[in-house]
Amino acid sequence: MENEKRTIVVPGEKVFNDQRRVDGGYADAAGTFATTMAMVHEDRLVPLKGYYLPKPGDFVVGIVKEETFNGYEIELNSPYDGRLSTRETRERFLVGDVISAKVADVNEIHEPIIAEPRKLGGGEVLDVESVKVPRIIGRNASMVETIKQHTKSELFVGKNGRVYVKGGNTALAIRAILKICKEAHTGGLTDRIVALLEGRE
Amino acid sequence: MILDEVKEAYVRDLLAKGSRADGRQLLQYRKVKVTKGAYPNAEGSALAEIGDTKVAAGVKFDAAIPFPDRPQEGVFMVNSEFPILAHPAFEPGPPNENSIELARVVDRGIRSAEVIDLKSLVLEEGKVLGIFVDLYVLDHSGNLIDCAALAAMAALADAKVPKYDAETKKLLRDQPVGALPIAHKIVTCSFEKIGSKILADGTDEEEIASDGRYTIATADSKTICATQKSGAAGFTRQEIVKMMDIALEKGEELRKLI
Amino acid sequence: MAVSEEKQMIVNGKRLDGRGFNDLRPISIKAGVLKRANGSALIEWGRNKVLAGIFGPREVVPRHMTNPKRAIIQARYIMAPFSGQEEHGRSGPNRRSMEISKVAKHVFENVVMTNMFPKTMINVDMEVLQSDGGTRVAAITAASVALADAGIPMKDLVCGVSTGRINGQLVVDLDKTEDNYGESDMPLILSPRTGEVLLHQIDGKLTKEEIAQAMDMSFEASKKIHELQVAALKGRYERVLAETENGNNGGGN
Repeated sequence: MENEKRTIVVPGEKVFNDQRRVDGGYADAAGTFATTMAMVHEDRLVPLKGYYLPKPGDFVVGIVKEETFNGYEIELNSPYDGRLSTRETRERFLVGDVISAKVADVNEIHEPIIAEPRKLGGGEVLDVESVKVPRIIGRNASMVETIKQHTKSELFVGKNGRVYVKGGNTALAIRAILKICKEAHTGGLTDRIVALLEGRE
Repeated sequence: MILDEVKEAYVRDLLAKGSRADGRQLLQYRKVKVTKGAYPNAEGSALAEIGDTKVAAGVKFDAAIPFPDRPQEGVFMVNSEFPILAHPAFEPGPPNENSIELARVVDRGIRSAEVIDLKSLVLEEGKVLGIFVDLYVLDHSGNLIDCAALAAMAALADAKVPKYDAETKKLLRDQPVGALPIAHKIVTCSFEKIGSKILADGTDEEEIASDGRYTIATADSKTICATQKSGAAGFTRQEIVKMMDIALEKGEELRKLI
Repeated sequence: MAVSEEKQMIVNGKRLDGRGFNDLRPISIKAGVLKRANGSALIEWGRNKVLAGIFGPREVVPRHMTNPKRAIIQARYIMAPFSGQEEHGRSGPNRRSMEISKVAKHVFENVVMTNMFPKTMINVDMEVLQSDGGTRVAAITAASVALADAGIPMKDLVCGVSTGRINGQLVVDLDKTEDNYGESDMPLILSPRTGEVLLHQIDGKLTKEEIAQAMDMSFEASKKIHELQVAALKGRYERVLAETENGNNGGGN
């Protein structure tokens, strides 16, 4: 059901009476409190703001920031840059290259090791908030497939909140993604995105 | 900021096809807005906006000691600050070369056209009126010079001169004697050269891609009073003449906003 | 604090601008006002206008200040040279602004979950564009909204007010005149969730009892300020929610 109540909370606002370890929440003896702007919906706390912290297994879109003696530093739309070792790849990269890659490992202070790099070229890069990525992808990738179908664009949505768009109606695909981000906390979003893509809006 | 550099290729690709990321024509400005009197504690103030770029300006008057080589002239100074909240690349510390260039180009436009009659600013023997214009960049999305020039000029046009009390040698700020006389409204038009293309009112992304900038300050529809060429690119004589034509025309439009 | 016995600032039980002893000046807060900053807020508090902007968590500059266990916070409170009603000010930091920057930093070190972002730096920039007394509490109140706008995890939104004594009377939210001619001034920032005081400075003579009463008055006034912070942050999301819900009903969903 789309009509269930959605409540917006701010940092410091109580969201649950019990202590829960959840993203965007902080628990102490008095209960669980929001730490970022978030939405409470169906007994879940959904952050509306936040930074990307790399996790092993994440597929991400990075930008080569620096070449080092044994690899590359990869910018990930995150406070932490990734390390890509030259052992991981035979391909040569230049500073400014956009790549898709996988986070292979992360140390205790979030610094990620990057693997499986693949150069992306000729498209556009769009940075959004990483907390919006699940909405852009949609249940079973339904949202991203809808956008691809209508725009004929190639889309790669990195878990780090960086989207790579190539070919097709790039401008329309970007408009759809920005609308998803703006309205991520609302219900009935799929219908409105389809309306936008079909030019009914 | 590395993302900005990635966008350089995108900016150049688009430009090769004759278009810009925000859909503007090459010589088209973003939406320009000027709010006079934005900070009324200052004797004159304004907030200028060009697209997402925002620059605040404040004018303060002080009873000052004249420069020794110009005892019969008031003091006019333009200073600029790049506070760190305006851009991820801005750092705390003394003004850097960009901030100094910005202040000097704005200063030169106003000073060279004799916008303010400095000789009229003598209060008494050894005391003159000092006019201090402070430019504050609040949000840097490109074309800071044009935005700063608008803010500075609007703040001067908004300024009320306080009464001078010869006995205490102090300015009575709550007793303004009138508006500061302004001879011209100076505006600037800045152009970026990217490859062989020239565009007006560059965004921050376009400035990164830019090979060079040319700024033209105009006093009215016929008079150019200052220019500044910046960056490595060279401009042909023809290009310069064309930019001047545009600056004289566009300047009239911007002047109306002050 | 300049003490002058002559200046009458309370007339018929009202302050010079017509406020009662517990009244705040009009306050408006806007979140997300800057394009380039990660988070931002503009607060207009009486005649005060303060803009706060956040960058980070990002790489620490200078590098030797890196803390491997947590993010460091660099707070900068600064007044524009044209912000006052007096003569032209000096640009850049001075001893006063550096002290305020330091105590503001400690406020944010309390509520920001710095342990989540080791080896990074968070910049909190507070630019006073117009000042009329109480700028430090206005700046920190705005910066707290800007941090939430940036998405930096925090245990609470902090806020506060300056309470002080004028003509022997305790009053909330001193303006510039009251600050200049009053007897004492007590800026205070608190965490509304825990009730802990995170910034507390006293300038001028006050008895223990007066301080206790001034704290009560500050706490009470801060409730209103906190409501304004919450409204500034929630407003944008709630507007979108309301728009889409109306749209859904109309569309027969």
